[in-house]
Amino acid sequence: MTFALGVVPVVLLLLGFPIFIVLLASVSTALVFYMHVPLAALHQNLFGSINQFALLAVPFFIYAGELMSRGSVAQRLVDFVQAGVGSVRGSLGVTTVGTSAIFGAISGVSAATVATIGKVMHPAMIRAGYPATFAAGLITAVGAIDIIIPPSIPMIVYGAAAEESVPRLYAAGVVPGLLIALMLATYVMWRARKENFGAGDPFEWRHFLRATGRGAWALGAPVIILGGIYGGVFSPTEAAAVACVYAALVTRFVFRELLWRDIVEASATTVLFTGQVLIIVACAGVFAWLLTVNQVPAAMVAWLNAFHVSAWQLLLAINVLLLLVGCFIDPLSAILLLSPLLVPMVKALGIDTVHFGIVVTVNLAIGLFHPPFGINIFVAQSVLGLELGTIYRGIIPFVIIYLAALVLITYIPVISLGGMHLLLG
Amino acid sequence: MIDRLFARATRAIELLLALAFIAAVALNFVNVVGRYLLGWTILGSDEVQIFIMVGMTFLGAVVVTWREQHLRMDVIARLCPAPVQALLRWIDLALMAVLCGFVFYESATYAYQMFRLGRLSDTADVPMWIPHGAAALGFGLITLIAVWRGVVAVLRHRGVQDRLESGAREAPPS
Repeated sequence: MTFALGVVPVVLLLLGFPIFIVLLASVSTALVFYMHVPLAALHQNLFGSINQFALLAVPFFIYAGELMSRGSVAQRLVDFVQAGVGSVRGSLGVTTVGTSAIFGAISGVSAATVATIGKVMHPAMIRAGYPATFAAGLITAVGAIDIIIPPSIPMIVYGAAAEESVPRLYAAGVVPGLLIALMLATYVMWRARKENFGAGDPFEWRHFLRATGRGAWALGAPVIILGGIYGGVFSPTEAAAVACVYAALVTRFVFRELLWRDIVEASATTVLFTGQVLIIVACAGVFAWLLTVNQVPAAMVAWLNAFHVSAWQLLLAINVLLLLVGCFIDPLSAILLLSPLLVPMVKALGIDTVHFGIVVTVNLAIGLFHPPFGINIFVAQSVLGLELGTIYRGIIPFVIIYLAALVLITYIPVISLGGMHLLLG
Repeated sequence: MIDRLFARATRAIELLLALAFIAAVALNFVNVVGRYLLGWTILGSDEVQIFIMVGMTFLGAVVVTWREQHLRMDVIARLCPAPVQALLRWIDLALMAVLCGFVFYESATYAYQMFRLGRLSDTADVPMWIPHGAAALGFGLITLIAVWRGVVAVLRHRGVQDRLESGAREAPPS
């Protein structure tokens, strides 16, 4: 059984086979050669893993983000944040951070933020005399906030994998997301002051009110999503569907930027994403079931107890593991592959699974832009035409900031759980 | 010609699923509005939405397979020499064909049982062979794509070998 559930997936994963094939190979080997259960269990578990209403929020949020990123929403949000930031040193950099945080409350897809915000802000920062490495590093790193600030697709998938409430995870993600945004903005201002670049225009009420008016419809989306969930009006899935309708109506009739064809194309893009991700969710469901019935998580918990591993040691080890894994695998696949193993161990040591969900998300968010293979590095390279060397040099200070935030979030649970208790009572 | 057929079929599946997905969004929205403003809900709408998502998952995976956009960790594989990469590609196609063929058989058997038993979903009364059949159809089509790509790879490999051999025959003795 170790061969089927341990050796096969690791070898095939390293050889670069599609992740759903890696999981199918593992579960098929286990079911056919090692277990005596009807093979119909394979289909039942594949189907059962997808047959969950909560998972509908994944394509719904993707669609809402897809619609909002196709028009001028990014530019309107940038104008709004920039007008509010005023003459702060490094104002364009702070605007980039602020806009990404707000965009994160709409879309929840990190690469889309790097592309959408990057296209607006990177040329502006270069024109304003920001160092090229700094601008490249900031744009590449800032998109990772998106999967921490709700709505977050990885949190929905973690919720499904760990059987944890998505509204609780969303509530717990708000403060860590804002903390990282604050740390990034502080660093931007410090660096701008130190190297004397990026003086902004002075704050003007008239300009700010006009930008607010232009950005009001775009700002409505996060208000509906988060207000709806925490006001007890919608479930996350319903909030996502309402956000889709809102985004379609605003971009079609208010901004008059999308045609009906564009709305269908955005849906087709969502279908493609769903086909990429949920097929892994289906196969990972069977994999998790096999791990459970073969008592693998229980064996790992016994191993932990035998070695007297403490909670902080386990969290440290998991952080290192997730940072390494996050460099090579996308966050959703990593969550699906590792949650069945890690969550029982975490529970056994009394760590809150909501807190752990946020730790996992922050780790994998860092993996999105961590050299050498973070996906956002390549998004920035292709969309903004940047050189890899420039991005690598620029990204290092931001990796350090995220790692510092990770340490705080990991070892001070109140950062995530406090926000949750505040919002949900 | 078969390539064009696959391309058209996958585009048709993609558009069909895109429209079905918009219908799912609309259904959910109408349900929310109905519940809060009018005090009624569409019975079984949740089930219909889930079944649309099931279709998007398994049939959407066919589109992803055709466009070779499956998520994978291929950092190490890309560092390998070209012959090793070619070998891995062969194994990839063979594994995909065998595994998806196996799941197709199991899913199709299950869907057929649902059909024979006349099972309906709990609230929307959707015949259960439809969503289960979508899974079978998805894996079946992925198997076909993998087999076809394998055949093309064999033909290309042979073509290259033939050209190499004919080139060797025609080359002047050194």
